[in-house]
Amino acid sequence: MTIRMLPETVVNRIAAGEVVERPAAAVKELVENALDAGAHQIDVVLRDGGRTLISVTDDGCGMTADEMTLAVERHATSKLPDDDLTRVLTMGFRGEALPSIGAVSRLTITSRPRDGEAWQLLLEGGRKGAPQPASHAYGTRVEVRDLFYATPARLKFLKTERTELDHAVDAVQRLAMAYPEVGFTVSDGEKTRFACASETDLTGDEAALLRRLAAVMGRDFSENALTVDAERDGVRLFGFAGLPTLNRNTTRHQYLFVNGRPVRDKLLHGAVRGAYQDFLARQRHPLVALFVEIDPELVDVNVHPAKTEVRFRDAGVVRGLIVGALRHALAEAGHRASTTVADTALGALRPGSGLPYPGRSAYPTGGSTLPRELAEAVASYYAPVEGQIPGLDGASAAAPATVDDDAAAMAGGDHPLGAARAQVHETYIVAQTGDGIVIVDQHAAHERLVYERMKKALENGGVMRQGLLLPEVIDLDDAIATRLADRAEELSELGLVLEKFGSGAVVVREVPALLGQTDVGALVRDLADDLAEMDTALALRERLEEVCSTMACHGSVRAGRQLNPTEMNALLREMEVTPHAGQCNHGRPTYVELKLADIERLFGRR
Amino acid sequence: MKLTIERSTLLKALAHVQSVVERRNTIPILANVLLDASDGTLTLTATDMDLAITEKVDADVSQAGASTAPAHTFYDIVRKLPDGAQVEVETDAAASQLLLRAGRSRFSLSTLPIEDFPVLSGGDLPVAFSLTADELRAVIDRTRFAISTEETRYYLNGIYLHAVEADGEHFLRAVATDGHRLARVETALPAGAEGMPGVIAPRKAIAEVRKLIDETTNPVEVALSDTRMRLEFDGIVLTSKLIDGTFPDYERVIPTDNDKVLVVDSGVFAAAVDRVSTISSEKSRSIKLAVNPGSLTLSATSTENGSATEELEVGYSDSGLEIGFNSKYLLDITSQIEGDEAQFILADPASPTIVRDTADDRALYVLMPMRV
Ligand SMILES: Nc1ncnc2c1ncn2[C@@H]1O[C@H](COP(=O)(O)OP(=O)(O)O)[C@@H](O)[C@H]1O
Ligand SMILES: [Mg+2]
Repeated sequence: MTIRMLPETVVNRIAAGEVVERPAAAVKELVENALDAGAHQIDVVLRDGGRTLISVTDDGCGMTADEMTLAVERHATSKLPDDDLTRVLTMGFRGEALPSIGAVSRLTITSRPRDGEAWQLLLEGGRKGAPQPASHAYGTRVEVRDLFYATPARLKFLKTERTELDHAVDAVQRLAMAYPEVGFTVSDGEKTRFACASETDLTGDEAALLRRLAAVMGRDFSENALTVDAERDGVRLFGFAGLPTLNRNTTRHQYLFVNGRPVRDKLLHGAVRGAYQDFLARQRHPLVALFVEIDPELVDVNVHPAKTEVRFRDAGVVRGLIVGALRHALAEAGHRASTTVADTALGALRPGSGLPYPGRSAYPTGGSTLPRELAEAVASYYAPVEGQIPGLDGASAAAPATVDDDAAAMAGGDHPLGAARAQVHETYIVAQTGDGIVIVDQHAAHERLVYERMKKALENGGVMRQGLLLPEVIDLDDAIATRLADRAEELSELGLVLEKFGSGAVVVREVPALLGQTDVGALVRDLADDLAEMDTALALRERLEEVCSTMACHGSVRAGRQLNPTEMNALLREMEVTPHAGQCNHGRPTYVELKLADIERLFGRR
Repeated sequence: MKLTIERSTLLKALAHVQSVVERRNTIPILANVLLDASDGTLTLTATDMDLAITEKVDADVSQAGASTAPAHTFYDIVRKLPDGAQVEVETDAAASQLLLRAGRSRFSLSTLPIEDFPVLSGGDLPVAFSLTADELRAVIDRTRFAISTEETRYYLNGIYLHAVEADGEHFLRAVATDGHRLARVETALPAGAEGMPGVIAPRKAIAEVRKLIDETTNPVEVALSDTRMRLEFDGIVLTSKLIDGTFPDYERVIPTDNDKVLVVDSGVFAAAVDRVSTISSEKSRSIKLAVNPGSLTLSATSTENGSATEELEVGYSDSGLEIGFNSKYLLDITSQIEGDEAQFILADPASPTIVRDTADDRALYVLMPMRV
């Protein structure tokens, strides 16, 4: 057996396997370098999903010929001046990206520092050429051609062009969210796939950040985002959290940044789920972008070669901070339902999206192509019918509850949901407020009220526990069993009494009576997962609340029941004093509000 | 196959066997009933692969043969035929259709090949004994309410039947538990059951047996192996697989040193529990028993509904005690008590309580309390 040192090219190819597993990873490394170089504008081009060309151009500090030659050497970096891994402030620090990429592709670096000459360096399959004079504006362009040509096995694993491009765009977007002051473009050589201009805002960084987030997460997000800002134990959290009414079926739109570095961490999704659990069905996920600022010594960014994972010294603090701050923001938001809802409603009424609308573009005026007969028919359709108000004749339109003198008072400032004016289709309550109208979905609203009441009863009355005649022993990993047993007291308040049973097992002696006959083993295992992932007994709470919510659903007034004015007003008053009455248990709004201004706009009065 | 049969005879047999057939079936043949005619007898069989019921009835068979037909449809048709009708049943030449005629009604049902019909083999059933219908009814009624419906603990989804010896006497004992309460009932060990294995009879088979024996007065012949059981009476044979699992060591959970004895009038008690629990929340149904010498106060509270109390005169002379139970569990047990008095043998609010029928020492119930 002969043991030998591997040649540098081989070492670099091995490292490349960890650092650049696909084009998006190379893009990420190169854009990070550009950001570290202080660029204000970064332009990325990918051809064939990055397979034939990745080019990243920046207007950063640039490199001299000597620096360039050194930069492509392994573990050469300008970014760890005091060799202290515990105080990493730049995106890069491992000095691995350029040599790794250069080992598996044809790499060209062209660069010119502010007050120097432009030089170009070629690296092909790990073999370095000599720097050549070149012509270039200041800044750096790194071009990667034929990525993975030197490692055909890796080439085979690449997905379709479209998928690779999507990943690359995602990588750039994540970085773009962390650097609102930097402008970015990504193109596939023909079309621009993503672009955002450098954002600066005189009113402050917050506005600039939100605009940048909107560029990535969509306008919906910025219009329905709550500001999150909290600090605990020297850890600062800021960012934006979407209203629950804006939700998706994946956690993809939940972003976490630690000291400006985009990271992927299960901790985030767990904490977000915990904070929103009251407002969203299990399979729906809110949108959030959260930025954690923490003493670099308290977080290890050198967990993974691609630097997308971090390890907090005290994950509990960060998790607690996120859950607390999100809950707080949601509580503050209280009644604010998603504006998208009201907007969609208005949109539906607006010209061009539904029936032709008189007095506006769809209405046949001079030069219209509509035949005259039809035009008249349209006009008469909108004319008030003599002696009868359309829509109010059928039983389903119910009695328009003409409300008495209190109405004026109720429509005033004390009662944000106003005075009930009518019930329509035995499903919706229409109320007049000081400056608009509110439409309430009676079933959704009542369901939420009943649910909140039951939850309160649970909290106040304690959870009834059914003793088990045959205590259930559940085998678990010993660490998990211990973790569960450590939380025994908290769990028992939720109705689950368990204790450690030898090593690697717990024995359950009592279960929440509400759950009836339940699969105790599955419950405990889910709980253990929750404790590991997010440090709370979520599964148990969720199950209890699920029971409450089904009971609430059955115990609340249905759509289709007639309500009299007193009942309607009582419902509105209760909604006003109940926390979170703006959404039903499934994250749908319980009411929408139309401001008078909106209505006036609808009628063209504004 | 060709035969004529009295509508009511056919209806009764079909009602018995079709109840095994699941409403939704992924295997088409399992939706069918097997018909086999010979020597003045029609034999009907239905199965869900775990459980099979076969019933023999008299029929005027003019041509022997066999066929299968959709069980529920066949049953529905016969049910709607007028009382007293004579039903002619016949397969066509290709045996692909089953023709039914009664009065002026004609039906033609599509059949499936008889070879596809699964045979639930009886196998060798070494243990055989006989129980009176009364005994079997009592054994099932006293225990089935406690059978678990939670499927991860499949070994609790049935009644555990086994032979025991106590004080020199031999019993056949039945036990069921869902982990919250337990019911145990015993009857004298029938001849032939001495060496029987402990077996767990599945819930569905128990339900079918109970329906089938509801009216009979004849003894039921039981045969067992450790994987199967067969019950036979009145021309009906029910064969079922047994639950392949180990029933937990239930003796361990029956307390032996409970010493506080509460005696209640079971009817009065049940009615009071029923009344008071109206208040308790729908899901947890908790009810509190405050026991003091000579009196019992039942109470329930709910943040939603309010509260209720009711005081009963009882036999009790020990120190005072407060204990909570699921009211539904209490009612399940009291409805099985035939005598006038029920006896609660208590220890403390956290430990299992024993309930007995003072008029029937063969039954014993154990109930876990509920706590806040
Ligand atoms: N776009 C760029 N502009 C200026 N300097 C760069 C650029 N890209 C790379 N460099 C220099 O090359 C060095 C090596 O880069 P890299 O291999 O990515 O390692 P790291 O970023 O971990 O230091 C960097 O430390 C930096 O000095
Ligand atoms: Mg780098």
